[in-house]
Amino acid sequence: MASDTLLKVTDLKVHYPVRTNYFNFGQKKFLKAVDGVSFELQSGEVLGLVGESGCGKSSLGKALLRLQEPTSGSIELLGQNFLKLSGETLRKARPQIQMIFQDPYASLDPRMTIQATLREPLEAHGLWTGKESLKIIDDVLDRVAIPTTALQKYPHEFSGGQRQRIAIARALVLKPKIIVADEPVSSLDVSVQAQVLNLLKEIQKDLKLSMIFISHNLAVVKYIADKIAVMYLGKIVETGETSDLYQNPQHPYTRALISAVPIPDPKIEKTRKRIDLKGELPSPISPPSGCTFHTRCPIATESCRRETPQLKEHGKATWKVSCFEVN
Amino acid sequence: MAILEIKNLVAHFHTRKGIVKAVNGISYSIESGQTLGIVGESGSGKSVSQLSYLRLLPSPPLRIPNGEVFFRGNNLLTMSEDQLRTIRGHKISIIFQEPMTSLNPYLTIGSQLVEPLIIHLGLDKKTAWKEACEALDRVGIPEVEKAMKVYPHEFSGGMRQRVMIAMALTTKPEVLIADEPTTALDVTVQAQILELLKKIQKETGMAILLITHDLGVIASMADKVVVMYAGRVFEEGPVETLFERSAHPYTKALLKSTPRLDLTQEKIPVIGGSIPDLTQIGEGCPFYDRCSYRKDICKSTFPQNRNVTQSHQTFCHVEEL
Repeated sequence: MASDTLLKVTDLKVHYPVRTNYFNFGQKKFLKAVDGVSFELQSGEVLGLVGESGCGKSSLGKALLRLQEPTSGSIELLGQNFLKLSGETLRKARPQIQMIFQDPYASLDPRMTIQATLREPLEAHGLWTGKESLKIIDDVLDRVAIPTTALQKYPHEFSGGQRQRIAIARALVLKPKIIVADEPVSSLDVSVQAQVLNLLKEIQKDLKLSMIFISHNLAVVKYIADKIAVMYLGKIVETGETSDLYQNPQHPYTRALISAVPIPDPKIEKTRKRIDLKGELPSPISPPSGCTFHTRCPIATESCRRETPQLKEHGKATWKVSCFEVN
Repeated sequence: MAILEIKNLVAHFHTRKGIVKAVNGISYSIESGQTLGIVGESGSGKSVSQLSYLRLLPSPPLRIPNGEVFFRGNNLLTMSEDQLRTIRGHKISIIFQEPMTSLNPYLTIGSQLVEPLIIHLGLDKKTAWKEACEALDRVGIPEVEKAMKVYPHEFSGGMRQRVMIAMALTTKPEVLIADEPTTALDVTVQAQILELLKKIQKETGMAILLITHDLGVIASMADKVVVMYAGRVFEEGPVETLFERSAHPYTKALLKSTPRLDLTQEKIPVIGGSIPDLTQIGEGCPFYDRCSYRKDICKSTFPQNRNVTQSHQTFCHVEEL
């Protein structure tokens, strides 16, 4: 493990049990939301996690914080086996990795003032020291460009963009090394979205944070991420540096996904060719055999139906694709 | 001739907290076979303006103190409820944003599809059922007979939106209002639905009024674009010229602040501030506080329209951007 690797995830699985019949007789079924995901996150790096709804990107994000206990696999956080920690040692490790949620209307407690909201994580982790802590709160608010007069106010007094900035401040008070941001700008309007994105990028650069940025919006991810991992039905199908992946996507799913995003320029749109994907995401409860993408893949062959492809290097060490036709 | 023409429409909500000025004098028109894109952020009045003249909003609190909306030369605002009912859901159909909430969960797909056929076209049950099956087939739903008998929750979001489109099209509308039809869907499904709308438009020649906040969707679908902000139209023009030579500071800023897939952006220029409170809108330009080109006159008076080209007009006091 490289010395600046903050997070190393190996073969992580999150399976949810599904009730198949009333008494749960017979074989138990599982929804495989995350099904064997491995990746590393270096210090100061932003990893974009993209995919359609139901691909498991949010489940993966939650599992990284143990907000959802993974079914199996391992998470190595700053050299510690994060999944083995419990009690006080777990509490000590948790400030290292913090989360920003999608909907700032739901993620802030409407009955807590902004000060109480920012104070709670510090108290919960036994880091509250009175005056010094108040200074930390002032500093993070300043960083997200919210005036300190906001401290005595309640969430409803703020707009969506401001609330999301407060949510970012809350993630920052514990001085984490890693931030998991789950669709942090999806509920915001275009003009406000740009403000929050720029802020996140600036904070990430200034504090040299590592970030996992989960989004379905490929244009947003492209703007902020250094590396991308594309997920489909609980598995990473392609991962690599942002520039490689966008300029020369290899996996047929990545290609289709990129070609499906409309570009705000009518001239380009007139001449663009879309790769049509047939149908929709299959059910993750009974995923297709072999390569799970074969049911929608334009270049699938017989062997894709039977055998499961593995993530293999493509040209360079950072670029991995899971497709028989590409490898 | 324009099939639908909106003239100086004003729509206000009279609430206990004051008058919410959602739509403040907007005008535009759409012709058969054309796709008009209406783009704006939340609270710009892009949806409310449509819902108001179709009388789909409770009144009170809604009031329409001013304006005319002509469908084939008839004013929708002055006609009786009975007359309007022969047009709404028949000649003018709507697809709503949320395919999850706009279908009735208690009724099968089939019984919801035949309803407009029986009410508007006076068909008997059997013919209506047949027509509905054909409608489902047209939007690419497999095993139609089976699909007619299932409930909405058995379908995915994309399939439900297809059902919504099928339902809106059964009466062969002349105008289809599509209110954020793909916002709740994934990009690959969005591409399928947009393609479907284009294909059906080619076959039937209907006009599509596409409401969205996604400039990419506008660029790929619209012939003509109307940019709205805080209940006002800021700019209107053919899609190519509006994107290439936008003549309003808001349109320009909006285009610049959108993250793009085809460009490498170091920093996205942002529009400072936020959308104004709709109860506090005065006579001036509502973009005044956030505009980097503002002049004193902008604060007190909203500009008249100014032609950039014959078909492209802007509402801005500043001529050189």
